[in-house]
Amino acid sequence: MVLKNLSDLKSVVAGGPMRKLVLAAAQDQHSLGAVLRAWNDNIVEPILVGDKESIQNICATSNYNIDGLRIIHEPDTEMAVQMSVKMVNAKQADVLMKGKVGTSTLLKCVLNKEWGLRTGNLLSHFALFEVETYHKVIAVTDVAMNIAPNLQEKISIINNSVSCLIKLGYTNPKVAVLGAVEMVNENMEATLDAALLSKMNQRDQIKHCIIDGPLAFDNAVSLESAQHKGIRSEVAGDTDLLLMPDIEVGNVLYKSLVFFAKAKVASVILGARVPIVLTSRSDSEQAKYDSILLSAAASN
Amino acid sequence: MVEKVISLQKKQRIAVAWGQDPNTIGAVHKAVGQGFAEALLVGDPDMIKHVCEIEGLDPSQFTIIASAGESDAAAEAVRMAVSGEADIVMKGLVNTDVFLKAVMDKEKGLMNPGATLAYVGAVQIPEYHKLLFLSDLAVIPFPDLDQLGAMAEYAIEMAGKFGIAIPKIALLSATEKVSAHFPVTSDYVEMKKNAARGSFGDCIMDGPLDLFLACDSESVRIKGVNTPVNGDADILLFPSLESANLFYKALMMFANGELAGILRGTRKPVVVMSRSESEKSKYYCIALSCLMAGD
Repeated sequence: MVLKNLSDLKSVVAGGPMRKLVLAAAQDQHSLGAVLRAWNDNIVEPILVGDKESIQNICATSNYNIDGLRIIHEPDTEMAVQMSVKMVNAKQADVLMKGKVGTSTLLKCVLNKEWGLRTGNLLSHFALFEVETYHKVIAVTDVAMNIAPNLQEKISIINNSVSCLIKLGYTNPKVAVLGAVEMVNENMEATLDAALLSKMNQRDQIKHCIIDGPLAFDNAVSLESAQHKGIRSEVAGDTDLLLMPDIEVGNVLYKSLVFFAKAKVASVILGARVPIVLTSRSDSEQAKYDSILLSAAASN
Repeated sequence: MVEKVISLQKKQRIAVAWGQDPNTIGAVHKAVGQGFAEALLVGDPDMIKHVCEIEGLDPSQFTIIASAGESDAAAEAVRMAVSGEADIVMKGLVNTDVFLKAVMDKEKGLMNPGATLAYVGAVQIPEYHKLLFLSDLAVIPFPDLDQLGAMAEYAIEMAGKFGIAIPKIALLSATEKVSAHFPVTSDYVEMKKNAARGSFGDCIMDGPLDLFLACDSESVRIKGVNTPVNGDADILLFPSLESANLFYKALMMFANGELAGILRGTRKPVVVMSRSESEKSKYYCIALSCLMAGD
């Protein structure tokens, strides 16, 4: 199965058990709005950790009904994050979400060696985009976490993403390794890595997916473009996952899709013990809600 | 853009290297028909006539110059531009490497001495309120300070041809922060200093900026970043070929963008497009090159 649009995520999580989501430093309007909507839709069972008074004030002003909701009072932001992470560590929650706290503070706690959420895997960012002009959702990694991943890190990023796609219902997702050109060029490291990743996939060193690259963006998403260039590829034109060469490229793609192509996006941090919802201030409440859906689906 | 070129009322002579595929001939035909170009097709005359016949075009509107093969045709087209017989060189069905070798040939080529070769494009996107000029889309994997300077100059020159007197230039990165993780951002600081000292003439330059801060004033407001570009960029300079390449391709595939671009750093404009580009894109590129060739 592949996802046609982001609302399909609902059917992935439907019927399953409610996931426990802990919102760290929960006193944040947009995050609360998204979490409570997912709660109303029976997707997550929230646990709010943060400044209780401020949480209640936000909910009162926005007319959010929080009767029966578990709120743990911890006014200190850093302590609230620690407590949230420790709850996940103790298997009391299935998804971690960032509230009103800086990304670096949250990640520091996640990576804590004693009580953090390390698994030995690299943490990576995974985003799902819904654009009108593509025939299904397209996953992109890594646009926000790893700055310039080397080959080994790219393998970890692919593995994180492929296991997530499999949890979403995919079988053998098609992975395009992006370059500026589709020829292997010794002056462009991204194309060399792409060739290696493709071969490692053929040799079963990277499993459960079909990898091809280098592919330029047009060939990755359009069969017509690929055919015009005479590219023989199982992935071209039907990509499920796009691997970015570095964060600068990924960031440009992310922002151009959101701004110029009016894409809808859901994103999650993978590689820790549980999925982490780490959206930014500028993300809409809808994007935060879709990210919660994605994380719930990925927490199986 | 096309109206602008037509309004110049000047015909530019375009030498097309191995110009014998339907897309190229069709695009050139349109430009000739609009009255802003004369075409000199360097290639196999029989093949050119054959394509014209299939496409229902009159071959007598073109000057056909017989050539034995791809690389000869590229060399001949470049020679014509060097000698003044042509104003613009365009790549036809010849392989890009072969074509660029002829353009960059030290003795017989078209390069300005010591110049940086860079690809500058203009992209039109329905979701943006004006044209965006971009560089480098095809040549420089990771531009250094000198190359960034050349890219800025070329893009400013192109924006000028479209009547933009004081262009706003955004130097793009993943965030707006100068950071050792992104070495290009320290070059950006130098670029800004050079711009402030007038190296690039009248312009407003800022960076590092991310795409939102460059193109969306609402994001500038939300984030509270103080930038003179203020979400109203005319020119985007990219930190890598990969990011620039992906940007314009994503716009073309997913945001109904249209791109026209040419090579700069040469004595005369050079049109290089991928063989798979549509006739329409090729036509826009020809129009752009005619605009750049005009005085």
